[in-house]
Amino acid sequence: MSDSSSELTHAQPNLTPLLDMVFQLITFFMLVVNFKEASLDQSLQLPVLGSARPVETKGDEDLLVLNIDSEGRLKVYGSTQDVRSYLAKEAKQEEVRMKAKNKAFKPGDELATTVVIRADKATPFKQLNDIIKACQKHNYRKFALKAMTRREGA
Amino acid sequence: MRRRRRRTRAQAEVELNLASMLDMAFQLLAFFILTFHPSPIEGQLSLHLPPASPITNVATEKVDTAQAADAGATTAKTLEISVFANPKGDVSRVQVGLRGAFTGPADAVNLRKLEKQLHEAFGFAGTPFEQIVVRVAPNLRYEELMKVIDVCTRQKMPDGQMLRKISFVEMSESGSGK
Repeated sequence: MSDSSSELTHAQPNLTPLLDMVFQLITFFMLVVNFKEASLDQSLQLPVLGSARPVETKGDEDLLVLNIDSEGRLKVYGSTQDVRSYLAKEAKQEEVRMKAKNKAFKPGDELATTVVIRADKATPFKQLNDIIKACQKHNYRKFALKAMTRREGA
Repeated sequence: MRRRRRRTRAQAEVELNLASMLDMAFQLLAFFILTFHPSPIEGQLSLHLPPASPITNVATEKVDTAQAADAGATTAKTLEISVFANPKGDVSRVQVGLRGAFTGPADAVNLRKLEKQLHEAFGFAGTPFEQIVVRVAPNLRYEELMKVIDVCTRQKMPDGQMLRKISFVEMSESGSGK
């Protein structure tokens, strides 16, 4: 048997294009990640309404998202909060912001923030109306009632 | 003048170890893939809800659309819609002004009836309706209410703008607003 001495060859794959592609994928996922989703309670079952349009604020409008469960309780980042105290605190902060932006702003003027109501489809109107009235009391006038554009899984 | 001597330096090849960088990039990629959860698209109905208090004389502004057409309804600016509910919280009856729009569930057929009636009311040139007051039964479910609001927000005012001013009034058990 002859002893053949084979030459050791170093296989060096070119990793640069692979790294490029991975970085592109990372960039994609970083761009599509939506941190605002954390404020949305995904356990709520929103009503389905074909004519509901997606939000077109282009990010220049302040939104106050209220997640309301089927019992009419306000959920903020998963914890139940008292609606009145929460709205009072938010409205006070908004007034300070508005005053800083616009010197002519007076207490009692309409707030620019849009109240986004994400209520469960089984929420009775009485509970919903109490929250809307509480918002109106704090000079919120612009509302957006959320609904799904189509049934989940459809 | 001294001649400058050119030094020929041996070019040292710098080899970056891409494998470790690739490892880190893959870890980042795995994190983003695992945490990526595209949420379903949510839509919304944008409304301008003025407080209920300035809308005075709601009862006196109950408008029969047929009468409004006859009388010109020059003073009527608020159209009142009453939404009644059954014990399960579904729509049982809807009334526009004093006229009944439909009795029964808020299905496609009945909602078309309501839309037709509202279209007639808002389409009449002499009717200066600016907003709608919706009197709602307290136990009506949000899902059912949205069906009625959806029909309301599809109405156009005489100036061509979509109706966005809607107020809600809670109906008492006896059927009167509060």
